[in-house]
Amino acid sequence: MDETVAEFIKRTILKIPMTEMMTILKAWDFLPENQLQTVNFRQRKESLVQDLVLLCESKRASLRDAALLDIIYTQFHRHQKVWDVFQMSKEPGEDVDLFDMERFKSSFEKILRRALKNVTVSFRDAEENAVWIRIAWGTQYRKPNQYKPVYVVYYSQTPYAFTSFCHLKSNTPLLSQALTVASNHHKIVKMDLRSRYLDSLKAIVFKQYNQKFETHNSTMPLQETLELDMHMDSRIIHENRIEKERVQRVTQETFGDYPQPRLEFAQYKLETKFKSDFHGGILAERKEPLRCLIKFSSPHLLEALKSLAPAGIADAPLSPLLTCIPNKGMNYFKIRDK
Amino acid sequence: MEWANDKSKGGVLAHLERLETQMSRSCKNLEDPPRETAESDLGTKIHKLRCLRDKLRAEVKQRQARIKASTANAEPDQTLEISEQEAVGGKEENMKAILQAYRFTGLSGKRTSRGVCVCISTAFEGNLLDSYFVDLVIQKPLRIHHHSVPVFIPLEEISAKYLQTNIQHFLFCLCEYLNAYAGRKYQADQLQRDFAAFLAGPLQRNSLCNLLSFTYKVEPQGRSFPFCARLLYKDLTTTLPTDVTITYQGTDASSTSWEEQRASHENLFFTKPLHQVFTSFARNGER
Repeated sequence: MDETVAEFIKRTILKIPMTEMMTILKAWDFLPENQLQTVNFRQRKESLVQDLVLLCESKRASLRDAALLDIIYTQFHRHQKVWDVFQMSKEPGEDVDLFDMERFKSSFEKILRRALKNVTVSFRDAEENAVWIRIAWGTQYRKPNQYKPVYVVYYSQTPYAFTSFCHLKSNTPLLSQALTVASNHHKIVKMDLRSRYLDSLKAIVFKQYNQKFETHNSTMPLQETLELDMHMDSRIIHENRIEKERVQRVTQETFGDYPQPRLEFAQYKLETKFKSDFHGGILAERKEPLRCLIKFSSPHLLEALKSLAPAGIADAPLSPLLTCIPNKGMNYFKIRDK
Repeated sequence: MEWANDKSKGGVLAHLERLETQMSRSCKNLEDPPRETAESDLGTKIHKLRCLRDKLRAEVKQRQARIKASTANAEPDQTLEISEQEAVGGKEENMKAILQAYRFTGLSGKRTSRGVCVCISTAFEGNLLDSYFVDLVIQKPLRIHHHSVPVFIPLEEISAKYLQTNIQHFLFCLCEYLNAYAGRKYQADQLQRDFAAFLAGPLQRNSLCNLLSFTYKVEPQGRSFPFCARLLYKDLTTTLPTDVTITYQGTDASSTSWEEQRASHENLFFTKPLHQVFTSFARNGER
């Protein structure tokens, strides 16, 4: 086994937390069950890793096997990457898409290899007819860097692809081209949507985040009046009850009853002229637009926005610039004067 | 109160003084003869009030007695009301059950505050499969609020064509696509689940289940070479393939018996759903 491959496997296994070690090794399915049972999983991690690497050497693990392990690790730790979303489109009136996964994979790899000899491409099929692609980029003279790969997640016969953030922007056009051609599309555009939470991005672009529907089978709960009133002592009077109910209603109409998809930030780039009621202010006469960047960050941005008005921090309804985020599939905005 | 207003004319003490003088004056008045008429006036007034009180008491008693009598009579009426309620409640339950059962027609809906929520329940060969929802907002223009249609079904295309002009056609078209998709998916799932023994490798499929590629044997334990099948469903509204390619990679590929088998298999795949084809293989194998 190549030294670089051994080192790569060693470093990948070292990243795996002990609690997940068995699960990930089983998913990898490279070391058979009986061999795994001979290993002492209670020893210190460094010694365990050494034992495992020795086993891999005895089985002659290749770069391909190592790349597969890397994919599995990333699938378990997808939140460690920041994901972008690309949207592809076809010409109108195209034939029905007869997507063949094997043809897609070979076409994708061929396009990359034609442009760049030094590249490692690996695939792993995933649920819902999706595929995870791992690409380690090299250059004309240098071998691929296995420690800075790019991941692409593609659900067949959909126009969206999710890619992990790549430091090497120069390879993005090539990657875009490979994706577009291999999946029978014509154009590709990067969306202004980015997050660590791959599943939330998927929910947003596939429009799967609101899955509550009224049916005759389910009894829809009647418009819940403010819970405050129901259980409290009748001697307690709630001031602004009507206003509170209005805010509750507006919030529910805007954000719905469902759990919001998870995003960590929304960014607004403003390039607008200053608008003021006071004439003769210093900024009012400025002809150039002001440039500023406003960023909202949160462990769960949309839930935070949803709670703003009920908490009394903001007026309801919130600005459409905030509430349109899942609907428009954007969390990067550029606002200019019309 | 008057004294509150008079307060301004000298305070509380002044007011008390005034009350005192008033009282002493009224005492003087009481000593005068008009005193007697006042007394008799009051006396007649008291008498009148007493009579009125007695009259009202008697009336209250009467009314109470009347109510008691009427409630005693009303009891049989109440039982009538209860049975009517039960009848209405029973009808309501019946209606609810019918509305719930509408799902089985494949297309049902429920009014919502902003429009209607349509439910498309797919089925294949008498098996009820997944349901999909489209929540419509009744506005001009008609629009879809949210839905559970999978992203690879061309919903935007169908709604662009028909939603504004012919909503029946929109729903019908969507039903077609979804039922066909559900049927194809059902066949592929059945093949993977019930006939895995016949497959020599994994079943390759895609999201729409409109391209299936697999290698199979006619006999699960047979030593015969497998056939490679490639099924294309170019018409997304059908559950049977439009293109079938069966290849045989055995050494005696040229032999006529295998060619006959190959041709007959092709025909089978064209005309029968996947799982039925394999059921017939299984049955032939048992003979």
